[in-house]
Amino acid sequence: MTGPVGRTSRNRPSLAARLGRAGVREVERTERLLADPALTAVVPETTDLPGLLGEVADPDLAALGLVKVAEAVRSDPAAKQARTALTRALTGPGSGAARLLAVLGASSELGNFVVTHPCAVRAVLDDAPAVGVDPRTVRAELLAAVGADPDADLPVAAPGGSDGVDAMRVAYRTRLARIAAADLVAADPLGTMPEIAAALADLAAAALEAALALARAELDDHGAGVRLAVIGMGKCGGRELNYVSDVDVVYVAEPRDGTAEDEAMAVGTRLAASLARACSAVSGEPALWPVDAALRPEGKDGPLVRTLASHRTYYERWARTWEFQALLKARPLAGDAALGRAYVATTQPLVWSAVTREHFVEDSQAMRRRVEAHLPRAEADRQIKLGVGGLRDVEFTVQLLQLVHGRADETIRSGTTLTALAALAAGGYVGRDHAAQLAQCYRFLRVLEHRLQLTRMQRTHLLPTAPADLERLARSVGMRVQGAAGLTDRWRSVQRDVRRLHEEVFYRPLLPATAQLSTDEARLAPEAAQARLAAIGYRDPTGAVRHIAALTEGLSRRAAIQRQLLPVMLGWFADGADPDAGLLAFRLLSDTLGSTHWYLKLLRDSGSAAQRLSAVLSTSRYVAEALTRSPKSVMWLGDDAELEPRSFDRLWAEAEAILRRTEEPAAAALALRGLRRRELARAASAQVLGQVTLDRVSASVTVAADVLLAGGLRIARHQARQALGLEADPAQMAVVAMGRLGGAEMSYSSDADIMYVYDPGADETLAQEWALQVATGLRALLVDTAAEPPLELDTDLRPEGRNGPLVRTLAAYEEYYERWSSVWEAQALLRARPVAGDPGLGEQFVALADPVRYPAGGLSLADVREIRRIKARVEGERLPRGVEPARHVKLGPGGLADVEWTAQLYQLRHAHEVPALRTTSTRDALAAAGDAGLLDRDDVEVLRTAWELALRVRDANTLWSGRTDATHVDQLPHDRRTLAGVARVMGYGPGGGAALEEEYLRSARRARAVVERVFYG
Amino acid sequence: MDRQQDYVLRAVEERDIRFIRLWFTDVLGTLKSVAIAPAELESAFEDGIGFDGSAIEGLTRVYEADMIAHPDPSTFQLVPWRGEEHSTGRMFCDLFTPDGEPSLADSRQVLRRTLGRAAEQGFTFYTHPEVEFYLFQAPVDPDNLVPVDWGGYFDHVPRGTGQDFRRAAITMLESMGISVEFSHHEAGPGQNEIDLRYADALTTADNIMSFRTVVKEVALEHGVFASFMPKPMADHPGSGMHTHVSLFEGDHNAFYEPGTPLELSKVGRSFIAGLLRHAAEITAVTNQFVNSYKRLWGGAEAPSYICWGHNNRSALVRVPMYSPGKGQSSRVEYRALDSAANPYLAFAVILAAGLQGVTQGYELPEGAEDDVWELTDAERRALGIEPLPTSLDEAITVMKSSELVAETLGEHVFDFFLRNKRREWTEYRAQVTPYELARFLPSL
Repeated sequence: MTGPVGRTSRNRPSLAARLGRAGVREVERTERLLADPALTAVVPETTDLPGLLGEVADPDLAALGLVKVAEAVRSDPAAKQARTALTRALTGPGSGAARLLAVLGASSELGNFVVTHPCAVRAVLDDAPAVGVDPRTVRAELLAAVGADPDADLPVAAPGGSDGVDAMRVAYRTRLARIAAADLVAADPLGTMPEIAAALADLAAAALEAALALARAELDDHGAGVRLAVIGMGKCGGRELNYVSDVDVVYVAEPRDGTAEDEAMAVGTRLAASLARACSAVSGEPALWPVDAALRPEGKDGPLVRTLASHRTYYERWARTWEFQALLKARPLAGDAALGRAYVATTQPLVWSAVTREHFVEDSQAMRRRVEAHLPRAEADRQIKLGVGGLRDVEFTVQLLQLVHGRADETIRSGTTLTALAALAAGGYVGRDHAAQLAQCYRFLRVLEHRLQLTRMQRTHLLPTAPADLERLARSVGMRVQGAAGLTDRWRSVQRDVRRLHEEVFYRPLLPATAQLSTDEARLAPEAAQARLAAIGYRDPTGAVRHIAALTEGLSRRAAIQRQLLPVMLGWFADGADPDAGLLAFRLLSDTLGSTHWYLKLLRDSGSAAQRLSAVLSTSRYVAEALTRSPKSVMWLGDDAELEPRSFDRLWAEAEAILRRTEEPAAAALALRGLRRRELARAASAQVLGQVTLDRVSASVTVAADVLLAGGLRIARHQARQALGLEADPAQMAVVAMGRLGGAEMSYSSDADIMYVYDPGADETLAQEWALQVATGLRALLVDTAAEPPLELDTDLRPEGRNGPLVRTLAAYEEYYERWSSVWEAQALLRARPVAGDPGLGEQFVALADPVRYPAGGLSLADVREIRRIKARVEGERLPRGVEPARHVKLGPGGLADVEWTAQLYQLRHAHEVPALRTTSTRDALAAAGDAGLLDRDDVEVLRTAWELALRVRDANTLWSGRTDATHVDQLPHDRRTLAGVARVMGYGPGGGAALEEEYLRSARRARAVVERVFYG
Repeated sequence: MDRQQDYVLRAVEERDIRFIRLWFTDVLGTLKSVAIAPAELESAFEDGIGFDGSAIEGLTRVYEADMIAHPDPSTFQLVPWRGEEHSTGRMFCDLFTPDGEPSLADSRQVLRRTLGRAAEQGFTFYTHPEVEFYLFQAPVDPDNLVPVDWGGYFDHVPRGTGQDFRRAAITMLESMGISVEFSHHEAGPGQNEIDLRYADALTTADNIMSFRTVVKEVALEHGVFASFMPKPMADHPGSGMHTHVSLFEGDHNAFYEPGTPLELSKVGRSFIAGLLRHAAEITAVTNQFVNSYKRLWGGAEAPSYICWGHNNRSALVRVPMYSPGKGQSSRVEYRALDSAANPYLAFAVILAAGLQGVTQGYELPEGAEDDVWELTDAERRALGIEPLPTSLDEAITVMKSSELVAETLGEHVFDFFLRNKRREWTEYRAQVTPYELARFLPSL
């Protein structure tokens, strides 16, 4: 160790300790550096270097830089003045030393620049202002650097060539260092940020001007035949540039008198290309930044340079929303100023009428969804610009609001994000408080971005991961004490705030003035509210404004809570297939529930409940109606367990309690029907929310019917006994479920297929009369009155169909099936399942049905032929007239009937030898046929897929439309809007109608091919 | 794209165009046309032109008859046979539903979609069709067809109608921006062949549609009748549309690999293997009429058997002679296609079949050296050479179980096509032909 012992010993505490306290990591090395003769030659001993180093981002780096600078000014004879200035700055008062060290400690790249261009040291050290400088001064400075006359009409560079390019770049970087110095020592970096960004934009514009002068120098006539203006877009256009990013530009050119347009455009193109090269091509000095003209009309495929008229034509006719969004920031940067102003004057009216153009709603929805998309896993995303809650989110929010409201209000048209945000607040389009918070977030993110970019002058927006890098970053934004952890925490909270504030500034002002919580909040005029609602997809904004007013006005607690919630719910409704219907349903629900305590608590405390409510209300008319009907069901949305299907036992216990406590038969039956309605609503809510699979939906819909039938039968028996004056039932009686009910495969719209069986005691006549009364009584209980939805009973599957007696004894069934039964009746029996009444009798019925439906030895060839023939005939006859067969999910090719008949044929033929085929479930029967090797496994899969999709389409038809009639349920909708809605219910994204159509038709075609092969054989 | 719309609007104004025909193609490959006035053009670009599609074959379901035609400005051309003054322009259209989804029934969209699928794998698909057709004396009498001449393959026919005709047709095609590669007298009397220049498949398909119209128009002007019927005369060769196809990856011909046998890359070999494996499935599309099978099975170099060969004029797929080192021209010729096919659908299924071979890495079977027509059935069986479907009936039966074709055409077109062709077959089967009368009436 060869440290400067003397120096250390004279200082108390030791130099090492002071350096350590200043944040120096490699103390010994830095001690050595500070003792370097080059440094000691210019730095007096009295200078408190450790103290100065303590203020900078990276003290190690700053110390090293300082030594290099000292060496450079010493060895470069041309830098004599710089050497003097350096000594003076390090000796005397003033902030020169702090500025220099700040730059050296924050940016290795600028440090290197100062070392290679020692003369530039003075720009960092002197007190000349770096921000708030007149742009004309900066322009003159850079033009002078290339030997061009700033006052000339067409400034032309004197040296031209690579010398000129290098001179321009040195002048640029010298001023850049000056700006960085001012930025880094600012007491309030967040407060200074807009001025810094403006200074950087002005400097870039000046560089473009100098580059244009260089480009002119390359042409013999200096391009005199063309007027060329460079228009800034993006951050440069918005006069809010950062340290390193692409400078987005668009070129507009006009021929000067006497020059043909073609020629002028050719020259303009050469100038533009050469200008870009001066800024970004390889030369002696490093490139500044890429000049990006990709935002021009037609993007990279379009001509680089266009006339004003050509620009106008393009924007009038073809431009899309995002192009206007970009154009919002257009500002003349360099070249022909008058032409630049004309360009802006021409394009601005188009920007501010973009809201009326086709596709604006879709485009703005896409913008909005992007900002509102769910947060990804926090750690995965370290993007300050494009990440969640990043700069882009703030910019999109502001620009979207500008586009929506700027049409009517000129005061909010600024291209500068913070200015625009302030104007939006002043104009009452966003809350002042929220706007201020959002602005603060934006400033923080920008400062973070600036510091990151300064380090190596790289175009980066990625937060570093290494602790040392984070530490340095924290120090550079004045968070020395909080350190890396504190910085990360703050960044996360800013991310969250940006998202939250987006909702606050975008939706909250939609509440009417009467619903404002304080006078600070924004009040949108009705027209402005309607414009904003229309932009996010409400088809009837006037109606929406009315509903919002009704929901939020007044002093009630409900209104207060809804004022809190509604803004974000408006966004959620807009994500559904039918925002208007969602809002309306919410209003109805709210009117019904009034100020019910739990409802308000649920909405307020459970974010997911409110979001789910918005989703179901704007997606499913069926659920919306069900929830309005029994508002208590809303409670389920806050609790996953409540969305789980109820078991039979649990529901039956509830049904028994109803039966015990309700004296009046009709009232009891209505209560049971209400129970079923509630369970359908539960299943529907869960299905719309994607919480349950299809088989569980069908099972729970079936269980609800089972319970109703069992309870209803008990009431009907009681009524029949009373009517006949009996003490006890004169017979055992049971209800046998058939069809979809028997298979536990019901949809919301399914009827209950049933048969009645009874077993008389002594008095057969009385028993028959009683049983008949029970059957007719049950129908009345389940179907009569509109107070609760009916469960339609279908008894046509009984022996002899409609011509047969409604009730039969067990013996009569036995005799009938022995003597008369035809194969289709055996087929119908496959799904027979005792569902209510005497369990013993049910078992007896099953025992007599089994030999019929699972015939020993399978089916005769004649029976197989008969089934095929009936099926072939039914295909033609039962399809409703005028329906396109391929879209009929029940009876069309590859539809439900095709698959079910196929499964049933296998059951009839093979259940006698394959026990697993003895099931009432289509799904199980298909699987059993596959397991037994009777059906190819691929075929089973094809059939099951098609069958499930058909059932899902039926369910979705009901859920979307709220209708349960066959016309609405059994067809894949033709109407595109309905189809799109049904697709949304089924989990397809927006515009998924065509995809659903294609998927259904394909799956049905495949199933039909299998059916033709294995069923028709 | 946008610049092109701009260009069209300007051209319409400058050239005093009075009508613009919007062209599209029904599922069977018939050209349909809607005329609009120049004043409507701008809104046609922006919003499309609505029309009732229910009357058009396979285009739409009766329930949603409304269709929107969006003209594709890159296809704008003057229609030359309408004269120079007050001229007429035409553009091909893409069809959409009223809510802006591409119509599932539009064959141009079918091809676009398939090209898109190829593009996802980095491929562009080029085709080069050789279109054959007959010229008959007008008016035509179906019972007594009289060709315009009795020349043969490459014959120079003095004062030949065909020659004048070809010159006029080519001039007109060139004036519509459709480049012609080659034209000559074909083997049959009055039979001609005109080859369209290599271009991307969508352009070529558009060009074929224009080509058929031009040939019909020029024939009218010359007082003759032109027909693209696949096999108009039993004793003379049919009219095929042998099509050379190739895939490009950027500027590079993906079929080309120097140093391999025939300089054919792995992509090229798998592509051919795909064509062969799926040839039977796509035949109903490439040869869509009952009459098509008279050509396919009419002998005389017809590609009746599924095999490939190098310069084998009887093979279904031919790898043409190559000039060593001229890699960009590597290509494969598919010979089943006939001149009456819907070019959009036909190119789509050919591409899909080949692409399937590429993505699944099919192995290319041994090539056929011999004239497969000369072999006995047993020999062909031994060599594993299968026949193509022998009738429309057989072709639609095979197609019906093809996932590849269903996927390519989309469920709607697939279903319509099968139903339509089934009906055609049923009608045809009910006919009593002159052949039967001549053969059986006297003796039975």
